[in-house]
Amino acid sequence: MPELSLLNFSALLGFGACIGLLGSALGVGGGIFMVPFLVLALKVPIHQAVAASLAAIVATSSAVAAVNVERGLANIRLGITLEVTTAIGSIAGALLANRLPGSAVQLLFGLTLLPVSVLMFLKGRRSLEARPAAGAAVKASAFDSAFFDPAAGGHTPYAVKNMAPASAISFFAGSLSGLLGIGGGVVQVPVMNLLCGVPMKAAAATSNFIIGVSAAASAYVYFRKGLMPLELTAVIVVGVLIGSFVGIYALYRLRSEKLQMAFSALTLLVAVKMLLKAF
Amino acid sequence: MFQEKDFARLIQRTLLAGVFLSLFLLFAGLGLSIAGSPAGTGLLRAGVLALLLTPAARVVMLIYGYWRSGEKYFALASFVVLALLLVSLLV
Repeated sequence: MPELSLLNFSALLGFGACIGLLGSALGVGGGIFMVPFLVLALKVPIHQAVAASLAAIVATSSAVAAVNVERGLANIRLGITLEVTTAIGSIAGALLANRLPGSAVQLLFGLTLLPVSVLMFLKGRRSLEARPAAGAAVKASAFDSAFFDPAAGGHTPYAVKNMAPASAISFFAGSLSGLLGIGGGVVQVPVMNLLCGVPMKAAAATSNFIIGVSAAASAYVYFRKGLMPLELTAVIVVGVLIGSFVGIYALYRLRSEKLQMAFSALTLLVAVKMLLKAF
Repeated sequence: MFQEKDFARLIQRTLLAGVFLSLFLLFAGLGLSIAGSPAGTGLLRAGVLALLLTPAARVVMLIYGYWRSGEKYFALASFVVLALLLVSLLV
């Protein structure tokens, strides 16, 4: 564990704030950047880095979801249904992670990031090129919802489809959370957006809502095993919350497509670094 | 009648209460730890625990809200999620 020097303290606080800022707009917890930062820059052991990252995800999810639920952006019915399989996956992932050596977890993390990077790039480009038609004729379900989009300047109703495969993939997203200390938002957002037909903003908000539970389910396991670095976690959480509260208002009205492209490039960079370290 | 807006406000207040309680404990714990007091660790632990329990508290409110609105399917789904969170606390 690194000494919590003034430099480390400032770096953790600043990095946490950036993660909170980005995560609040894109529906990801930011663990995908948090874990490599802690491991590579601050030399924190990977399991402790994962534990701290999970706590940070719970923080950003709780803060952001509080606002998104009130605004009607987060689809609670969809969220709680996907949370069932996500929570099962996250417990399985956390149990498996404690039986795996650190380098194996890093390798898995690096390999996971590569397709995620491509997926985010493609999604961002597709969103820039064309917007999907809203209100397509789909059989009404209890999951259908609507929200007010300030960027579009209007009410956006949408129908939710393909719930069965989405629930199955949520199990995978949950297990990523426990294994790698990421919230699984990088899987949940594309699943909801591409598979279920949920508009990007609602998918991001609902993902943020979901990842709090999956990260908490995994974090309990780490907390009970004494793997949670308390001081380090406290500083990160404070930073993440500052960033999240600023991000909710600052980034809410921005188009997320271009941010997604930048996010994709960063993900690729981190993936290469993690793979190099694992080998 | 328990309306959608009341439900959203209940969830929002639960989440914010958990986040701010956790922040208060973490700030106090960090301050005491930096000052060299042994009580700091206990407060930090309580702050992290309060944070980790916030999503569970939100799920409890979902059970209550959906039960009151008569949406039994979603109340049941919320209950299953709460049970899974309890399992993860015990494993």
